Formats: sequence, structure tokens, C-alpha cells
Amino acid sequence: MTAPTLLIRDLYLAFRGWAGQIDVLHGISLHINKGERVALVGESGSGKSVTARIILGLLQQTRSARVSGLVAFEGRALAKLTEAERHRLRGNRISMIFQDPMSSLNPVYRIGEQFHEVLKRAEPRIAPAAAREKAAAALADVAIPDPNRALDSYAFQLSGGMNQRVMIAMALANEPSLLIADEPGTALDVTVQAQTLELMRDLVAKHHTSVLFISHNLGVVREFADRVYVIYKGRIVEHGRTADLFADPRHPYTRALLAAVPRITGEGVPEIDDVSEDYFQPLVVHEGCAEPEVTG
Amino acid sequence: MTHLLSLHDVSKIFAQSKHEVRAVDEVSLDVDEGECLAVVGESGSGKSTLANMILGIYPPSIGTISFRGEVLPGKRELAHRRAIQLVQQNPLSSLNPQRSIGASLRLPLDVHGLGERSQRSDRVGQLLEEVGLPADYAGRSPASLSGGQRQRVAIARALACESDLVVLDEPTSALDVLVQARVLKLLNDLRRKRGLTYVFITHDLSVVRNIADRVAVFERGRLVELNPTGKVFSDPDHAYTRRLIGAVPVVTAEEVRLRNHLMKKENVSA
Repeated sequence: MTAPTLLIRDLYLAFRGWAGQIDVLHGISLHINKGERVALVGESGSGKSVTARIILGLLQQTRSARVSGLVAFEGRALAKLTEAERHRLRGNRISMIFQDPMSSLNPVYRIGEQFHEVLKRAEPRIAPAAAREKAAAALADVAIPDPNRALDSYAFQLSGGMNQRVMIAMALANEPSLLIADEPGTALDVTVQAQTLELMRDLVAKHHTSVLFISHNLGVVREFADRVYVIYKGRIVEHGRTADLFADPRHPYTRALLAAVPRITGEGVPEIDDVSEDYFQPLVVHEGCAEPEVTG
Repeated sequence: MTHLLSLHDVSKIFAQSKHEVRAVDEVSLDVDEGECLAVVGESGSGKSTLANMILGIYPPSIGTISFRGEVLPGKRELAHRRAIQLVQQNPLSSLNPQRSIGASLRLPLDVHGLGERSQRSDRVGQLLEEVGLPADYAGRSPASLSGGQRQRVAIARALACESDLVVLDEPTSALDVLVQARVLKLLNDLRRKRGLTYVFITHDLSVVRNIADRVAVFERGRLVELNPTGKVFSDPDHAYTRRLIGAVPVVTAEEVRLRNHLMKKENVSA
């Protein structure tokens, strides 16, 4: 059996500050197999985004951060790689889409120039003309009507939805094996968000890309992910296949989270505690969703 | 019967260098005392421009806005500014970070001369308790509160003026889902207890379904549908409304069925 695209085992994270040590992740474990779309859902401050930063190898460089545990990408532990090797993975084998496309694109460079930079991550000597051709094809893939015009534009000349598509095209341009999507589309209108997600879904299916989908929006997760991990205050509390987890949420926190989502069928506003001792109950794993053995 | 708030053929035109933008285009609608009217639409649909005109931040280019049957002037009197209050999306930027919670809540009492001066600090404590916060939070700064608590303070500030109409501009979209549920609950309770009227501006249709009495749907500055909430979510008049509801990410099988049902109608009518 081949190693999962991403394997995280007992990951701890703490920040050391003037007020002492603050624990952020209390030993989380998760895995993503090839071509799988896995969601990490939780509220703000639960540790979703720091997990993404650790996978990218960015937090390890922060001096106040204490990271321990295993993060393995395609069977290789990130901690055993040199900084140069980790650098080569980023933007190439592992790429990321951020929540707000406007602030992740550089406003003073045209889209075409930024796309060239992205393509150079995989192919350092790529010529501008070849890069432009590749970029235009990638933009056409994300259903941008006039790719050449988009390449000559600045980010602020395009709409939010267009920028998000540009980000998706860039993130997938080098055919990464892992895509980390941090709240993609939350800054967009619902109709645009729905289109964006559908597009992303089709593209990752086509390229067999594994996706770590980070979100607080359960509705979006339900529509996008194959498997779901629910995270609460730095602990994974429930893990299962999307259909199972939504049909039969078993952890008190997952239940509260699901109950709190207003329904378009109109059940009224529910009465729910935003803090409860019950939310700290141990992890619930649905049938057939055990973590794989760590090999090597 | 006079309506609490009436808009008659209201348009707002912003002049650009080469062309003009009709942010709100010939909108007429009435808001009754005690109701919650949701204003929904995508970005650029004109819902915030509408809110700004209701609040008197700028006057309409064409048309009139009346409050309790009286046409509001372009520049509002103090009494009208008191009667119509705003709760914004992000309490972190709408509350002054330099000012204690108590000072922020006391300011409207002083400006509008509400109550005896000596009793105003007690009033601040009551307001905090009314939104479910301890009275001693008056001494705290906004930075020491969580997002949900800060939004409660922003709501208390709108209540401080004894307002009749509260314009809620995306009041829960910056909050986590558990916190959102509690703030919505609070808004519902306050409306019932105080007989408040809400104009609830949002793009979140699932929130609208559970809090509004009627829904006004805006598309590019135009009011395309105005109906009771139940009707909007079971048999909407306009294709755009159907598209909006069809795009809402949902969590239960019943919701999926409803959505599919609406989209099927969309395809038939298309």
C-alpha cells in the first residue's frame, strides 16, 4: 500500500510568550489519501489554520513556536528534510489557496507576471512566452472567459470571483499532489462561492489532487469533502466520512455545531451553549475511519 | 394605518467620471412597526446603499423616505437620528478601542439627554444585562471581549437610544456559528420584549429564513421580490431568488430536497 499523501500523527503546537506557554494543538492526528478531499472543520481559534502552516513548514521557522509530532508528506517526514527540500515542496508539490484572493495576489504586478513566478517554482527556466501559454490554458481551465485579458490585468481590475479562480488556477498550475484550501470562497457571494467550489471539485478530481479543506462552514464542507475531521480547541473530536458524520453526528460538539447552523427549511433559532464541558469529551471515530499505521 | 418606515420611489445615483451608477433604482417599500424585514442580495446589489439612506448618512437622489408618516429631510434632526439606529458587521471596528464599554454605551445617553445624569451609569449596567453581559463589563475595553460579546455591546448601544428601528447590517456574519445562534436568539428576544423593528441586511439566506417576517430581494439596485418569508422559501416569484436559495450550502437532507425542488422550478421557467 502506498503512503498517504499527508499523514499527521500526534501533532503538538505551543507558543512561548511573555505570559508563559500557550498550547494550541494538543496532539492531533489525521491523514489524506491520494485524490481524497478531506475537511478540517472548526471555529476560529480551534487550530485549523496553524495546522496548514505547519504542513507548509512555515510555523517551524517561527522562533516562539514549539512543534512536535510527525508530519509526513508522501511517506517522507518533513522534519527530516532540509530547509531547501522543504522550500522545493512549497508552491510545487504542496500549494495553498487562501481565504481572501484580493490580499493574496500582489496588487502591483499583473496576473501574467505572477503566474510566471508560480510556474518557475516547477520549471525554473521556463520562458515567458511558454509560461504565458501555460497560464492562459490554466485560466481557461477555471472558466475565465478571456484568459489573455485576465493575464494583462491587475488583481484589482478583476472581480472577487475572478481573483479566486486565478488563485485556484495558480495553485493547481504545477499539478501539486496536495492542495490546502483555507476557507476558500468565504469572502464571496453565495452564487459565486457555489460555482467556485464546483470548479475546484472538478479540477482536483481530474488531476487526482488530494485536498485539505479548512473551513468553518459546515454546509460547504458537506458539499465538498469525502471525509471530515472536526476540531475543537486544538483537539480532533470527531472523524468520519462526510455522509456518515452529517447523518449521525456523535460527539456533543459536532452535534452542537450542526444544530447551530440555521436551516433554509426554517426550524427557528436553536438554543445552544457556546461553551460546555461536554465539548471536551474524547474523540469519536466512525466505522472504517481508523488512522493508518505509520510505516518507516 | 401609517407604516413605521416608507420608501417612495427611492433611487440613489452615484456620478462617476464617465457614467453614473444607479446603486438603488426606484425602490418603494414599507416597514411595519414590530416586523423584521430582511434585505438580501449579493454584493453590489444596493443593500448597503439602502441602509445608508434609511440611516440618513446620505439622502436619496430621487424619492422620499418617511418615518411614522413624516417625510425625513436630507439632514436629520437629533430625534430622528435617535429613533433609527445601526448595528454593524464588525464590532471590532465599530466600537472605539480607546473607550471603555461603559463610556461607549453612555455616550448616546449623554448626546440625546436620556434619563437623569446621575442615573446614567446604572442605565449602562442595565443595558449590559439586557444583552446578557455582566454589568461590571462597563469598565472593560473592547479588546478584552470576544467577538460575540462585542457584538452584544454594539446591540446594547443601539438599544441605549430607546430606538424604534434598528438597521442590522450583517450583524452575525463575522461570528462563529455557535455564537451566531446565540446572538440571533438575543435579537429575537429583544424584538419581542421591546417591540423593536428590524431592517436586517444580509447575504445569508439561512439566517433570513429563521429570523425575518418578510424578505426583500435586491438585484443590481432593483427590488425584484418582496414577500413573506415562508412564501419566499417555498414558492419564490423571481428566478433570481430561486438561484440565491439554490446556492446556499446546506447541512440536512430536507434542505437539499427543498433546494432541488426550487431549482427544478427554475429550470421549468427558464
